[in-house]
Amino acid sequence: MTATTFTLQRATTADGRLRVELGGRLTLTEGAQLWRQLQLALRERPAEIDLAGVTRLDGGSAALLASLVARQRSGGDGVEIVGASKEAGRLLRLYDCARGGDCAREAPTTPGLLREVGAITHDLFSSARAILAFVGDLAAGLAAALRRPRSVHLTEFGRLLERTGADGVPIVLLINFLVGGILALQGAIQLHRFGGDQFLASLVGLSIVRELGPLMTAILVTGRSGAAFASELGTMTVNEEIDALRMLGQDPQRFLVFPRVLALTIAVPLLTVLGNLIGVFGGLTIAWWYLRQPTTVYLQELTRALDLADVGTGLLKSVSYAVAIGLIACQRGLATRGGAEGVGRSTTSAVVVALFMLVVIDAMWTWVFSALGW
Amino acid sequence: MARVLEVRDLAVGYGDEVVLDEIAFDVDRGQVFAILGGSGSGKSTLLRTLIGLQPPLSGRVHFTGIGPPALALTPPRFGVLFQSSALFGSWTLLQNVLLPLQKWTTLPADAAFAVAMGRLRLVGLDRYAHHLPSEVSGGMRKRAGIARALALDPPILFFDEPSAGLDPVTAAELDELIRALSRDLVVTIVLVTHELPSILQVADQCIMVDRAAGGIIARGAPRELADRNVDARVQAFFRRQPLPRTS
Repeated sequence: MTATTFTLQRATTADGRLRVELGGRLTLTEGAQLWRQLQLALRERPAEIDLAGVTRLDGGSAALLASLVARQRSGGDGVEIVGASKEAGRLLRLYDCARGGDCAREAPTTPGLLREVGAITHDLFSSARAILAFVGDLAAGLAAALRRPRSVHLTEFGRLLERTGADGVPIVLLINFLVGGILALQGAIQLHRFGGDQFLASLVGLSIVRELGPLMTAILVTGRSGAAFASELGTMTVNEEIDALRMLGQDPQRFLVFPRVLALTIAVPLLTVLGNLIGVFGGLTIAWWYLRQPTTVYLQELTRALDLADVGTGLLKSVSYAVAIGLIACQRGLATRGGAEGVGRSTTSAVVVALFMLVVIDAMWTWVFSALGW
Repeated sequence: MARVLEVRDLAVGYGDEVVLDEIAFDVDRGQVFAILGGSGSGKSTLLRTLIGLQPPLSGRVHFTGIGPPALALTPPRFGVLFQSSALFGSWTLLQNVLLPLQKWTTLPADAAFAVAMGRLRLVGLDRYAHHLPSEVSGGMRKRAGIARALALDPPILFFDEPSAGLDPVTAAELDELIRALSRDLVVTIVLVTHELPSILQVADQCIMVDRAAGGIIARGAPRELADRNVDARVQAFFRRQPLPRTS
């Protein structure tokens, strides 16, 4: 046990009761030892704590003493602090529990499982209510915007289009090229085994244009623009900028949400077209390199396999992805509560929910298109 | 009275730009020392340099008897109340105050809780311990910031514009708290402010800085400066008047 700069001794009062005598320096540096030793001593129900030998008392130790004495008193044991110097007495009065509040209260413990489940359930209902309110606001805002299109704030639209579209071109090209290439390589190995090299172009073309091109592009846009929108609007919410906007008579839906959703609705299909082209080109590269297939053969097979409906279904999907990403990101951002941690939570939630919804929407469209025979 | 802070030949600024130069003053233990100046006078830059957030361009800041300059491995030597309070928004007031105790002391959880609640009680906020900063008023946030700054019993507290943006009653209550901290806890307080009532109410000594002059333009007790200093800039400041125009 390490030596402390304070002493704690037991003595007897004139009427034969226990007195705890503290001496030396009582500082927060040795607060842990002071706390433990005093707790032990107080279990013996002393009548007095004598501070006559204390040469220094800091605020932290005064707070500890005040708290322990209050707990003792709340347990029905009267204990008095005696012998305090003028300065120590002044400090103890500052931290005295009688100044208000309940300092006999124990430190809060970790909430139990039932309480956690309750809190999560409550949060789920709160989120559902917030989403419904957002959809309602959105519908009202859309109706108003359709009546007065000029009320939509489009000053930032060009910059938003650049951020969501043009700035995302390099990564969309790179990822879709690699996806097209990987798909072609996997397909080529299998098709070559059965002498079906000529079908590589249709495999890559249909997979990319109908499915992977729109989906991969949307996933990238979710990570880039969706996260950016959620954190941007989240920070604005936390900083009361959204409230300020309302006070200025601006509707956040028309001012912030619509321009972002509109920018995504234009940018995502355009990015998808570029992604499709480069994905198909990735397949062509593999066909030429791995199968030694002439470019013309690949392109002829591609044009034979693909028709406008394939391109159209892919683009239709990309438009619905864009709307979903925009709305989810903006809703999560505007629903942000708390400070920096809240913004982080909203951004994570926006990305996770948007990715989940992309898959759900994809499955829904695939079912609809197959039912329609497209 | 024991000296706790010595500033000598200090120049502060950004890069090559010197904002204030040849700053020199001493602060004694238990004193409330105010750094005065108008908006943009460089007083906040001076404060940032004093607390080590910004390196001095030249000169030295010496804390007497409270150890070497702070490193991330040593507990902070002084408490700071930032202008915005800088409380962590997603934490309750109690959690904000507990943070330095958990980081720098070996107190068991219940003892740390008792100390943190004691600090909050000291500033009159123990009933709001479990509130988030966004759920309390600006004045309460300032007081919670003071409780957090006090958590480790630092010998010096630095306050940046403590009563800025507060209503007169709340500002007066905060001034009273600052006086109580100085009187009862014998904490040295260095505060940056341009709030006249606060200056006259709480400060024992002060310096006034001016960016155009490039340094200190007056020093002494606030009442003395207000009543006897003949410098036009000092008089304009204390009488809340526009500076006379120079052609």
